Amino acid sequence: MRRESGPWLPWVLLGVALLFLALIEAGVFSPLESLLGYIISPVERGISTIIERLGGLGQTTREVRQLQQQVEELQQVNATLIQENFRLREFKAENEELRRKLNFVQDNPTYSYVGADVVEYGCGIFSCATVVGKDTNPYLQYIIINAGSRDGVAVGMPVVTSGAAMVGRIARVSRNLAYVQLINNPQSQVAAMLQESRVSGVLIGTPEGGLSMIDILPDEKVEGGETVMTSAVGGLLPRGLILGQVESVTYLESDLFQRAVVRPAIDFRRLETVLVITDFPRVNLEEIEQGP
Amino acid sequence: MSLYFGIPILLLAAVLQSVWLENIQVLGGRPDLVLLLAVTWGIIRGANEGAVWGFVGGIFCDLLSGGEFGMWTFALTAVGFLAGQTWVHALGPTLIRLALMSALGTLIGHGILLGTMAVLGYSVNVGQSVQKVAGPAALLNFLLSPFAFTFLVWFHRRSQPRWGGAGL
Repeated sequence: MRRESGPWLPWVLLGVALLFLALIEAGVFSPLESLLGYIISPVERGISTIIERLGGLGQTTREVRQLQQQVEELQQVNATLIQENFRLREFKAENEELRRKLNFVQDNPTYSYVGADVVEYGCGIFSCATVVGKDTNPYLQYIIINAGSRDGVAVGMPVVTSGAAMVGRIARVSRNLAYVQLINNPQSQVAAMLQESRVSGVLIGTPEGGLSMIDILPDEKVEGGETVMTSAVGGLLPRGLILGQVESVTYLESDLFQRAVVRPAIDFRRLETVLVITDFPRVNLEEIEQGP
Repeated sequence: MSLYFGIPILLLAAVLQSVWLENIQVLGGRPDLVLLLAVTWGIIRGANEGAVWGFVGGIFCDLLSGGEFGMWTFALTAVGFLAGQTWVHALGPTLIRLALMSALGTLIGHGILLGTMAVLGYSVNVGQSVQKVAGPAALLNFLLSPFAFTFLVWFHRRSQPRWGGAGL
């Protein structure tokens, strides 16, 4: 005879689902989640590969392949030029800032000075990964990449794409996969600065999937078109990763700060491969506090 | 037991949702495959099995989400359970109530998801979410429900014991 489950079953399952949420909030669910992720990741990678290959089947003619190759080469050249252009502009801005400082030194010859950066940064150790999936929750902006804890990826690491544009930060890691919280996620907050005017603020994601730079002091002059980049304040991110470009600035007298609408530097829907910065030189605050 | 084939179907649906459907925009939105399967199975096999499919499908969706684990599980268990309620039978013949419940279930599921997110501290824009995500998803699930039904009825007939089981 067929055994029917009792009417209590759905309520038990709902209770278990709520328990999951409570355990996650308490931070004691991670081992089980990792185990489940270990099971699901090969399936996701396999299906992702099949879909990628199926998608390429229609483009088999020689011409299409040549065109595709040319486009890829041009995209690569474009990305390199953007990066070079960005670096030159960064050098220009830094040069201007140093000149201003030098002028200040010359104007105040009786002062003593020690030069210092806010946060040191340099070449990172990169881990390359492919985007294999997107968040099943349509209200959250995450991507899933095929690099996990076995590749040295850990929570909080910054993720970038070509042209030093920041994609987001690692929010969760399983053995084979990592979940990247995109910078346009409403929960995301990145310490940012404007490249030309050196104005600082915080870049946040909006519920609509856009970007806004907040906490800009009301007396700062912000121009449309300025490049927004990471400022490295806090030491969690390297300085100089491109975030976007200022579109417009709003300031209401009732507000304490100005707010800028920022156009993202990348199209988050077209991400294919990314780089995870697994390490970069950071300032040791203890050493600074202790002195030489 | 329906879960013998339910687990691989739901796993496949969740993975397809993540790697394929997220890139497809139809009518400004995308269908919710796992939600549609849980609702359809709830209508075919009743509240208990609907809840079980919602629970299992929800776990897979949560594994493929950067959000808190349990948000999808809670929402889909509730929707699968609701779809199998006896009052749903009053909505009309099987295909009509399936289509209506797919749309209604999608809206309820997204409502629960958004509510859970709000409780967990996420900023939620209800109007825009309904207009841009939940509304199109409900419409697409409404249109896709006959296909999901045909597919799952085939499995239902093979998994149902010959001497009994829930009727359509």
